[in-house]
This record gives sequence, structure tokens and C-alpha cells, in this order.
Amino acid sequence: MTKAEVLTKLQQIFDDIFIEPVTVTEGLSADDVAEWDSLVHISLVVAVERAFKIRFGVGEVESTPNVGAFADLIVKALDHA
Amino acid sequence: MMEAPQHSGSVSSKAELKQLLSRRDPRFWQVLTSTTRKASSFEEMYFCSTIRRKAFVQGFVPPEPKTKLRIALLGGYTFYPLTEIIEHLLFVNEFDAEIWVGDYDNYNWEIMDEQSSLYDFRADFIVFMPPSWRYKYSGKLSDEPEMVRDEISQNRQNILDLCDRMHKGTAAEIILCNLIPPCTHDPGEMRTRTLGSEWNSLKQLNLEVGLTAPKYVHICDLEFLSARMGGVNAQDNRAWFESKQPFSADFVCQVATELTHLTCAAKSSTKKVLVLDLDNTLWGGTIGDDGVNGIEIGDTSARGQCFKEFQKSIKHLADRGVLLAVCSKNDYDNAIEPFEKHPDMVLRKEDFVSFKANWNPKSENIIEIAQELNLSLDSLVFVDDNPAEIEIVRQFVPQVETLLLGHDPASYMQALKDCRFFEPRQITQEDLERTNQYKLERQRNDLLSSATDMETYLSSLNMTAIIDDFREVDVPRLAQLINKSNQFNLTTKRRTEAEISALIKSAEHECFSVRLKDKFGDLGLVSIIIANTIDGTQNIDTWLMSCRVLKRGVEQVALNELLARAQERGCKRIVGTYIPTAKNQMVSTLFQDMGFKPLSMKEDRQEYETSLSAQQTFDTCIEVVRRRNDKS
Repeated sequence: MTKAEVLTKLQQIFDDIFIEPVTVTEGLSADDVAEWDSLVHISLVVAVERAFKIRFGVGEVESTPNVGAFADLIVKALDHA
Repeated sequence: MMEAPQHSGSVSSKAELKQLLSRRDPRFWQVLTSTTRKASSFEEMYFCSTIRRKAFVQGFVPPEPKTKLRIALLGGYTFYPLTEIIEHLLFVNEFDAEIWVGDYDNYNWEIMDEQSSLYDFRADFIVFMPPSWRYKYSGKLSDEPEMVRDEISQNRQNILDLCDRMHKGTAAEIILCNLIPPCTHDPGEMRTRTLGSEWNSLKQLNLEVGLTAPKYVHICDLEFLSARMGGVNAQDNRAWFESKQPFSADFVCQVATELTHLTCAAKSSTKKVLVLDLDNTLWGGTIGDDGVNGIEIGDTSARGQCFKEFQKSIKHLADRGVLLAVCSKNDYDNAIEPFEKHPDMVLRKEDFVSFKANWNPKSENIIEIAQELNLSLDSLVFVDDNPAEIEIVRQFVPQVETLLLGHDPASYMQALKDCRFFEPRQITQEDLERTNQYKLERQRNDLLSSATDMETYLSSLNMTAIIDDFREVDVPRLAQLINKSNQFNLTTKRRTEAEISALIKSAEHECFSVRLKDKFGDLGLVSIIIANTIDGTQNIDTWLMSCRVLKRGVEQVALNELLARAQERGCKRIVGTYIPTAKNQMVSTLFQDMGFKPLSMKEDRQEYETSLSAQQTFDTCIEVVRRRNDKS
């Protein structure tokens, strides 16, 4: 799966997770979205893992600064799956 | 539970919810509830919760306001996303929850400090989740059992003291989550061979807490829930290290469901009546088609065994005080037969406080059952294997909970035991006596109605019986009845059409049929008597009747007719024969009931006699029309 495809799929997941619409861009980070606190983050990670059928290691998602890096992490995880 | 198909095609409930929300369709709330109840994973559950909050943000709220409920959660863990799912599940169960959450592993202080905000919150329920790691045995595997027991006992006391303090400070009901024993192999066999292993010490602590906790403490049995799901699937070590939340996402949903169940159970009464379908529910097959010897029940086949085990689990509920009722689309006589005659049936007629076997809509029968028992509809649970019947009940009596059994009887017992409608709060002597009380009440009612209303009822039917000598035109129907009737059939003597035709011409035989009509229509040819005259005695060779017309007076009409004919022939007495079979138990006492005296009583053949001078004729509510052939 390419990064562009990952970002498209992430948009669908974001649509289900966030109450107010959020547009996925590579530069988007949690600081840009009022709703995106540490709690919603937990549910977001579970939803992403289930949707892509992957599993992140401890601390991995935390170390991604924005959605672009998060998408890279997903692509990497998919390659290793 | 089955959900009504809201749309044709493959529109997912997720897409449907989005559509309904965008149109602000009030059905949104109903679909949200059903989708939530069906949700089997965290993502589905979380989606439902989010779309509900989206609706609120848009100012779209459910029509009925919900009951306020205040819940506090505290313990040795963090509680997100548990709180999110609990709030949503309570919403679906008609509660508007306000939730207070304690800090991570700060419960001792929160409970001991009277100034703590826990006590300002005025919770209705406090969920207390002590951490497993703190209460596992702290010593060595090789320690003396006495040492281990002492520590377990202290831990038990510590946990219950904290519950006591919270209860006294708030008057809240306490939901105590017990401890999950670790699902790792270490330390092998010693896990079960020593009390000091983490596994055994936590299980022992759970056991002692459960057996000694006071009534205001409700146990949320995490040990059981984890075992049910599989311990490895219930835990999530990454979540623990990252956010001090130890459960896998799907287990979070299980725990939230259980906490919601405990909360709602404490606020509602338990179900009282289990209303059961018959065909393909209590036995395999259709009694009307397959007959009592053809249905699947009992240990001779795997399927029969499934139904037998299902019946046993129902019997078990009855022993616990749950009332049983039947609601089946069947003729009553067919439906009752297995309960009276099949040796492998676990359930018997007397196990039921109400027995509705007829062709009325099940929703109507269920309303009648509730009225008979003087119970509200919401104390009934209806079980059926047919989705259409479940749907009718859900639509017309939505207060009644339903349980749809799948196509595989192997799953029935588990479905019943997992339905959660009949969980006892406390088993009382009164529960056990209740079934008896209801049975007595029903017998009284039955007696009352039979004494006062039966005559009126029968008169209201405007029945007419047409009595005919056997006629050629009737031979096929006569042969059919003679060769098929089993239950109301005194001698079960079979005859060919040729033999029947021969009887028409016989001078020694009195052969007549009874046809019945009532205000609802023509019931057709329903009874036959063949009697043979020998030396001034009328011998009843054949007497049979369709069970559809039982207890309407057709038996009496038939006997009156035979008496009249015997009189005309100048006979002095009538002899009746009863030959017992597997199926004709219902007429075993017919002759005695009619006033005949036993003449010869052998096991395989019983004869009764009555003299014409002594035999009474019977009053009935049936108008009789006699039509005689001209034999001359």
C-alpha cells in the first residue's frame, strides 16, 4: 500500500473518530485538532490498527510528530506484516 | 436477537446511521441502539459512541429524556476508553450518565480522605477496580499455606473495608471488580500446586471476597470475563505500559457491558416468565407432521440430545423459580402429546403455568399469558427459532424481550444460559414456591371458567350435528378417518374402503357418522361409530372422533344416537370395547365416564357394558339432525 493510499484510508478513519470534520494532510498533528487529546488518541490508534490489520510497538506512535510520519509508520508496519 | 431489516441490500448499519443523522431522521436513535447491541468489536462500539456525540453536538437529541445516573470509577488503573463505552452503553439503556473518574492508582487516598471529591460527587454507583499486582501474594512460592492464607485474608479485609467506607460515605451501591489472575505459563505446575502462586492467591482472594462481601457490594467478575474471552485476548501489555490501562480494546467492551448490566440490573426487576415455542425449539421437527414418535428428542441422536439438554437447562431455570409457558402454533392436542407421552421429554405438562397452542398470532397469546398470570409484559421473555415470530412479538409487544434461536440446536443451551434475563439476585424460598402458587391459581381459574362459562361458550357456538348412516359418497372420508385416527379411537380397528362399503349393506351393523357445523363453519365428518348386533346386544366395534371437536359434546351425541338405534332394534344392552395403544390413552376411561360398568378388564382389551334401561342419555349444546338411509 502506498503512502497516498494510506492517507486516503486514514481520512475515512478520522471521519469516524472525530466529531468535527478533520482534513487529513501530511503536516496535520494533534495540536491542530482540539478534540485530539491523549484519550481520543488511544481509540484512534486501535481503529487504525484494526483497519490496517497491523500492530504498533510500544511508544512507536507517540514518536511520530504528524500524520505524514504516522502514515510512514503504517506503510512500514504493512511491509513487515 | 434479531434486528428488523431496515433497508434492502447491503447498506451497513454504519452508513445507515450516517444517512439517518444527516437527515435528522428520528429512527436514528432506534438504529443506534440496535447497532450498539450488535457491536462485537471496540471499533464498532466506539463508532456508535462517536456518532451519538456528533448528533448531540449538532443539537439532534433523542425524543425521550433519559434517567440521570451518577457513576464514579476508581482503582489501580486508568479508565479510558472504558468510561467512553460505559457512558454510551448506559445511554442505550436509557440512562444519561455523569461519570467521575479517580486518578490513576490514587484510590486509597480518594477513599480515606473525607474531603475527597469522590464524596462531593454523590454517586449512585461506585466502580472500584483494585489492581491485581498489589494483591497477589507477596512472599515465596514455597511459603507455608498458613502464611499465604493470612495475607489473602488481610487483602480481603482491606478491599471490603474500602468498600464499606465508600458505601457509608455516599450510600452508593459498590461495584467491586475482582482480580484477573495472570495468563502466563510461569511458574508451570507450581501455579496450581501452591497457594502462594500469583494464579492461586488471586483466585483464592476472589473466592473469599465473593463469598463474604455484603449485599451493597456487586461483584464485576473480571476473573470470569477474562477466562470467558481467553486471558491472552483480554490483556494488552502495550496499553498498560503506555496508558496504565491493562485491557485489550475488545475486553474493554466486555467490562463496560458487564458494568452496565450490573448497574441496570440493580435498577430493574428480573424477568419472571420464559415463554417457549415448541417445534424446532423444544424438539426437532414438527409435531403435527412428524407425530410424537417422529420428533427429535432424547439421547438416541445428536440432535435429539441437543434438545434434551436445552430442556434440562429450562428445567433448571424453573427449579430456580422462573415460570414456564408455551406459545406455539399447533393444535393443542398435538402440542400437548409429547409432554404427556414421550419418554425422553424432560419438561412435562405440569412444568408449565400456561400452555397456548393454537393458531392465533403469538403476540396475542403472549398478552393473554401475561394477563392470566397477572404479570406485566416486561417480565416475559419469548424464545423461538423462527425469525418471523420473533419479529411479530417485537413489533406488537415490544415490552417483551425476545431470544431468537439459530438454526443449530447445539447452540440453544448456550444461548439460553447467556441471555442474562434470569439471573437471580438472591434465591429465596418464595421463588421456589412461586411456581406452585401460580399452578394452583391457574387450576382455580380453569375450574371457574369451566363451571360458569363452558355451557355459555358451547351454546354460543350454535353447533349442529348431522348424523348419517354410512353412505357410498362418504366412503373415502370414512376410510381416511378410520385408518388415521389414533387418539380418540377405542379399538383402532383399520378397514379398507371395500370393507366399509360392505358394512353399508350389512343388516347386523349400525354404522353412522357425525358431521359437525358451528357458527365458524363446517368441521366436516368428525366421528364414526360401528356397532354389531348379536343376540340383543349392541357391540361397539369402532368408535372414533377427531380431536378437534373434543369436549364439545359430540361424544355424547354419538352415544345418544347409538342408544336410540339399539332401542329401535330391541336390544337390551350395549357392550363397549377399549383396546389400549400407545396413542389412545385419552379415551381409556371413556366408557366409565359415560356410565358403563366394567365387564372384563384385561391389559390388552377392556370391555364395558350398560343396560338400555339403566343408561342415561346426555344433554348437549348441539342440535341434532338425523338422516337415515332407506335400507329396504
